[in-house]
Amino acid sequence: MANDVELLKAIAARDEAALAQLYDRYRVILFGLLLRILNSREEAEDVLQEVFLQVWRRAADFDENRGRPFTWLVTLARSRGIDRLRTLGARERVATAGARDEADAVSDAASDAFRSEQREAVNNALAQLPDEQKRLLLLAYFDGLSQSEIAARVGAPLGTVKTRMRTGMMKLRQLLAGKGSDLGFD
Amino acid sequence: MVHEDYKEMIPAHALSTLDGADESALHEHLEGCAECRRDLEQWQAVAASLALSADPVEPSHAVRQKLLTQIQSEKAVSNVVPLKSPQRNLWNSLGSLGQIAAVIIFAALIIAVVLLWQQNRRHRQETQLIEILSSPGARMKDLHGTNEAPGASAKIVFDSTGRALLIVNGLPRPPQGKEYQLWFIEPKLPPRPGNTFSTDDAGRAQAEQHMLAQDGDYSVMAVTLEPAGGVKSPTGVMYLRSDY
Repeated sequence: MANDVELLKAIAARDEAALAQLYDRYRVILFGLLLRILNSREEAEDVLQEVFLQVWRRAADFDENRGRPFTWLVTLARSRGIDRLRTLGARERVATAGARDEADAVSDAASDAFRSEQREAVNNALAQLPDEQKRLLLLAYFDGLSQSEIAARVGAPLGTVKTRMRTGMMKLRQLLAGKGSDLGFD
Repeated sequence: MVHEDYKEMIPAHALSTLDGADESALHEHLEGCAECRRDLEQWQAVAASLALSADPVEPSHAVRQKLLTQIQSEKAVSNVVPLKSPQRNLWNSLGSLGQIAAVIIFAALIIAVVLLWQQNRRHRQETQLIEILSSPGARMKDLHGTNEAPGASAKIVFDSTGRALLIVNGLPRPPQGKEYQLWFIEPKLPPRPGNTFSTDDAGRAQAEQHMLAQDGDYSVMAVTLEPAGGVKSPTGVMYLRSDY
């Protein structure tokens, strides 16, 4: 089975089958991420399609010396998701109650053991962060808020927010150190 | 700020949570600092790991089908081979020299008209810029490039009557059949369309716009890529946006 880098090279050479394979490999992770950001299946599916169209058009831009395909794809998807959230003018999520409750079951192929292990590692690491640090990281990552917006939201001084976020990120990196090579950092 | 100050900002930059001024300063530093760029790649991977904390969810099968259909149609368009023109002999070629000369003269005329039109338009826009800037209550707002065009930037100058001029730099020329479009986005309201524009080879554009009284204070402004002529609500990728 081709690895992610090989798939991206094939996509850059206009191989549709390679794109379909990459989509099958990452759709549940990226759709879960987009759904968490947008809280609307309709919007998240629309952005998911845009993300893979972008992958089709820009696969040649991927540079394996500058990071892993996982990081590239997730960064692209998150950026698109946050842009859509802002376009919708929705600081409060585009409320579609129960969007995640109605979600289809995750297929066995997609929830492979490797990703499950990484997911568990990330969730364990987050569980070990103090609540005030974890909350800020999640507000930044999933809600796309700037540091001053976060400061206003949580009612803390901007300096405190900056320090807590930096400490939280450093702790997260330390806690994931053993798994870092799988996730793309030292 | 010194190197260490910038280094401390990198984890927050990887979460794209830095405020405008810090973001611009760090962006400038990154351009000249290979060490910080390498550091950023590591922190981006740490930030990306947060995606795994979201529950994995299966999208509907229709997404895959739509994606593959769209890709096939894009591929079909890019595979179109232009028809070869029929071969001509020497006499035919000599006979058509007059036609070639006529075509060259006609093309030169068109170029002259376009240059004159551009000069007039530039002059009109410069005049408009001066008028806006010199009117009472003139203000300006910055737009910065998204990940689609990190090097792009724009300023919109406007006065209290709603006259506005968008001045864009570093935005790639849009593909054929597409134009950029400005949007005014107020909380809890659908985005309101502004005028469309194209950029030149140097990535520059100036586009006249009209703003409402509240836009200067309450609207986020964004530029997306849309079908030429513009659309009523945004459908394309965002290239520029202002801060809240």
